[in-house]
Amino acid sequence: MANITKKVSWSSRGDDSGLAGEGTPLLNGTEIPKPSRQDPIRGRPKEIPHNEKLLSLKYESLDYDNIENQLFLEEERRMSHMGFRCLEISRWVICGLIGILTGLIACFIDIMVEKLAGCKYQVIKENIEKFTEVGGLSISLILWAVLNCAFVLVGGIMVAYIEPIAAGSGIPQIKCYLNGVKIPRVVRLKTLLVKVLGVICSVAGGLAVGKEGPMIHSGAVVAAGVSQGRSTSLKRDFKMFEYFRRDTEKRDFVSAGAAAGVSAAFGAPVGGVLFSLEEGASFWNQMLTWRIFFASMISTFTLNFFLSIYHGKPGDLSNPGLINFGRFESDSVAYYYYELPLFMGMGAIGGLLGALFNSINYWLTIFRIRYVHRPCLQVMEALLVAAVTATVSFTMIYFSNDCQPLGPEHNEEYPLQLFCADGEYNSMATAFFNTPERSVRSLFHNQPGSYNPLTLGLFTLTYFFLACWTYGLAVSAGVFIPSLLIGAAWGRLCGILLASFTPTSPIWADPGKYALIGAAAQLGGIVRMTLSLTVIMVEATGNVTYGLPIMLVLMTAKIVGDYFQEGLYDIHIKLQSVPFLHWEAPATSHWLTAREVMSSPVTCFNRIEKVGTIVDVLSNTSTNHNGFPVVVQVLDSDEPAKLCGLILRSQLIVLLKHKVFVELARSRLSQRKLQLKDFRDAYPRFPPIQSIHVSQDERECMMDLTEFMNATPYTVPQDTSLPRVFKLFRALGLRHLVVVDDENRVIGLVTRKDLARYHLGKHGLEELQLAQT
Amino acid sequence: MLPYNLYLFFVFVAICVPSLKCGDVVHLSASESADKLEAVPSLSTAAIVSKPAVDTVFSFSLLSSFPDDLEVSDYCSDLLHIFGQRYVAYVNCLVPAARPVKVCQSCYSTYGNLVEIYNNISSDQMGPGNVTCRDSLLRSDRLMLVYQLYSNLESLWEDSNCAKCVTEHLESLTNDTLYFMATLNQTLTCFEKYQQGNHTELCKNCKSAYGTLNVLYSQMEKNSTLCIDIEDAMNMTRRLWSKNFNCSFPREENVPVIAVSSFMLFLPIIFYLSSFLHSEQKKRKLIHPRRAKSNTSLMNIQDKLS
Repeated sequence: MANITKKVSWSSRGDDSGLAGEGTPLLNGTEIPKPSRQDPIRGRPKEIPHNEKLLSLKYESLDYDNIENQLFLEEERRMSHMGFRCLEISRWVICGLIGILTGLIACFIDIMVEKLAGCKYQVIKENIEKFTEVGGLSISLILWAVLNCAFVLVGGIMVAYIEPIAAGSGIPQIKCYLNGVKIPRVVRLKTLLVKVLGVICSVAGGLAVGKEGPMIHSGAVVAAGVSQGRSTSLKRDFKMFEYFRRDTEKRDFVSAGAAAGVSAAFGAPVGGVLFSLEEGASFWNQMLTWRIFFASMISTFTLNFFLSIYHGKPGDLSNPGLINFGRFESDSVAYYYYELPLFMGMGAIGGLLGALFNSINYWLTIFRIRYVHRPCLQVMEALLVAAVTATVSFTMIYFSNDCQPLGPEHNEEYPLQLFCADGEYNSMATAFFNTPERSVRSLFHNQPGSYNPLTLGLFTLTYFFLACWTYGLAVSAGVFIPSLLIGAAWGRLCGILLASFTPTSPIWADPGKYALIGAAAQLGGIVRMTLSLTVIMVEATGNVTYGLPIMLVLMTAKIVGDYFQEGLYDIHIKLQSVPFLHWEAPATSHWLTAREVMSSPVTCFNRIEKVGTIVDVLSNTSTNHNGFPVVVQVLDSDEPAKLCGLILRSQLIVLLKHKVFVELARSRLSQRKLQLKDFRDAYPRFPPIQSIHVSQDERECMMDLTEFMNATPYTVPQDTSLPRVFKLFRALGLRHLVVVDDENRVIGLVTRKDLARYHLGKHGLEELQLAQT
Repeated sequence: MLPYNLYLFFVFVAICVPSLKCGDVVHLSASESADKLEAVPSLSTAAIVSKPAVDTVFSFSLLSSFPDDLEVSDYCSDLLHIFGQRYVAYVNCLVPAARPVKVCQSCYSTYGNLVEIYNNISSDQMGPGNVTCRDSLLRSDRLMLVYQLYSNLESLWEDSNCAKCVTEHLESLTNDTLYFMATLNQTLTCFEKYQQGNHTELCKNCKSAYGTLNVLYSQMEKNSTLCIDIEDAMNMTRRLWSKNFNCSFPREENVPVIAVSSFMLFLPIIFYLSSFLHSEQKKRKLIHPRRAKSNTSLMNIQDKLS
């Protein structure tokens, strides 16, 4: 009887199981671990290897909810009608600036990559040509590997040593930010610089990566920077846009920046808006959508305009995005109804391959977090990947027998002849000896017959593993293009095989079309985005007639893939232990009430609190609380305190810094009254409590919080179910939710981490653990 | 409504064409329907086009007796005649030059003649008797046969890029082309000389000649002074060299390449093994959040408090 409730298998805290007997069997037959943590005689904190079932303490929520304290009300009262008009106009101006800057960054990345990769491939090509004649091709191989390593070394060092948050595509981080999680350092100027230079290095370094994902992150950083009108890194304050210095406004602009990034990357303004909508679907409004669309459009237009100048055709606006799929316009790329099942079949293959990709990458990432965590090791790993990529590519090209005649219009940027007959080029080299974007385009558009099935098969296989190995390295790089490339390769293979199976090669079996479908399937299988990805693909191909097949393919890929494994970005979010709130609360969680979810007991402050107490609470490192309910003692001291407001750590710190003490206010009547501006000036990097000096005398002073606290915080009764609480958080962007009893006494506090720890696992509802990372 | 009108129109046409005199009547009576027909131009032309088909028998005799001012002048028909002769001459020249392609070298002068006569026809200068043949020969009917014939050959000329190999006024081949042909001949003579017997001999001895040709070709490619003759000749020579004589570079460095690449592929294995064995595993400290006691104990607390 005593042991009917056991710990669910995920928990490594086996030694607690002795206490499990106290557990109450739960309604749906699963058990949550016993809340036995208040046990006073608990040992020192347990250490476990990193895994996906943790929540990190370093992530905090954004303060999306407006703090309606008296200062705020006063400021609003003072503001004229004209003032609000100006604010609205400056929002539009900022969105325009975001678009322009994002477009310029995209343009810079594009041109730099083209130049650097062009130089690299030219040098290697000449070298290979020389050594094909006189022998010594292994030297060319080494040259290629060394050049790759040199580029990756620069990028890797920057990322690993200067700004580790800039690693990867940045989409998981931006997803988290839009979800309402403050990821440290994710929207700083330094991150932007490292990201942009890093992505140039890694693409020029020949890794199996793309430059599209990082654009989204770059756009987001631009937005966060521009909207604040200052840079804390550069210590410059332009005294502009001061009103927008708070999380609510900043997050709105960041969603515009992300959209502008998508739109610059793929030439897909609508896709960008939908991306922001899909990732930040809660707290959203129509005006914001329209503004975001404006930013997206401006961004793609800017990129277009400057690229046209760069290509020497000013005014020819035909380069809408970094990746240009080219035009699918000829008759042979129309599709027929009987092809739809084929497309869906390819979608299923894409889902399977995507799940495989994600699983391999999942294990690799766990290994990396556990063992390859030192910066020097990370740089070394990136170098090894670069060298191996070059080696594998070279070997494939060297042993390939697939020779194709040179076309009249030279689709191939750097044709390699090697052992082919004169006037022919090595077909494997068009796939490997090129930047991934160009390879994708040649897979889409080269004439039927320019690739052997064997070449494509080998290419798919090697590139699959290379891309899988590369994602998650300490270099900034995206996964969109490699996925598209893998998919385009096997999709083209499908097209060729279809044409060869049917006796009279039918007109509809155009390899380019199947390459496109394959690319969509593979990308959908890996990232599992839905609406936005469909629109992005449709916009990037510039052909609306492909809307239906692409949608069907992405649907199938998602359904099949989700059966086995989550999307790549979700995996990485989990592995970073981010308290991410999904669209809905876990399905079987209605039986959980706020009482079980909340943290308790809560550290509260009195409305007039002693400075010493506040300082002590704030400097307690073991409880890094951020929001404190403010309570008022009823005169009759027997009665427990009742809730009257909520105050944030950041506000308290500003108050302490300005020494807003009751005694001082009495002595110095002339002292300026604290305004909302003082809080904004400290945003977003509030000084730590240790940096604020409070003398012994001052500790005895009192602080009146009435004016500064949010007098009407959201509260719920203790019997509220988890999904209801969840909805409040998701829809309002809450950070703290006070749980009160029927007499308005504080009994607990629900934060994002309390909610995010529940998730639906294989054994029913599971709980994540909090960990220090 | 519309189909009915159309039908009416057809009926009138059928009745009136044989005796042409009732033309006015047709227009008068059809004027109502004409408004509607104008709104649908394609329909109205269809109706007109089908007119001769309705009654070919009657119109046959009409054709031979157009009034004088509609007839083609003698001057123009002469031009047309010459055009025909030169056209035939050019085509006669082209066909034998199709394989191996020599269309630029052998036919540029006949093409020049053709261009000349066509320019005469299409110029708007008055010939003798103040006539210009441009309108009467080139664009008085839907077929525009002369224009079509000429433009076909013109596009052929353009596709073949012959202009790159011929001087501006189609007088002679350019010096570049002649030089290339000379070099090509040297190479081919060399090939012929060593063709018998072992091909390795050929590969060795003709390498310099072939190399010069290749360099020259790629230089011309860069200057874009290539026409189809040169491209084809080069293609054939390359095929001879690579496929027939098998003089391409052999793949003979397998061992060093495999050695270097397996070394490279071996490195990550070492790296991952060593970091697995030597790097200390990153551990996470678990934090125990403060939670309310279970339902009953919470009740107890509250009982105690109150």
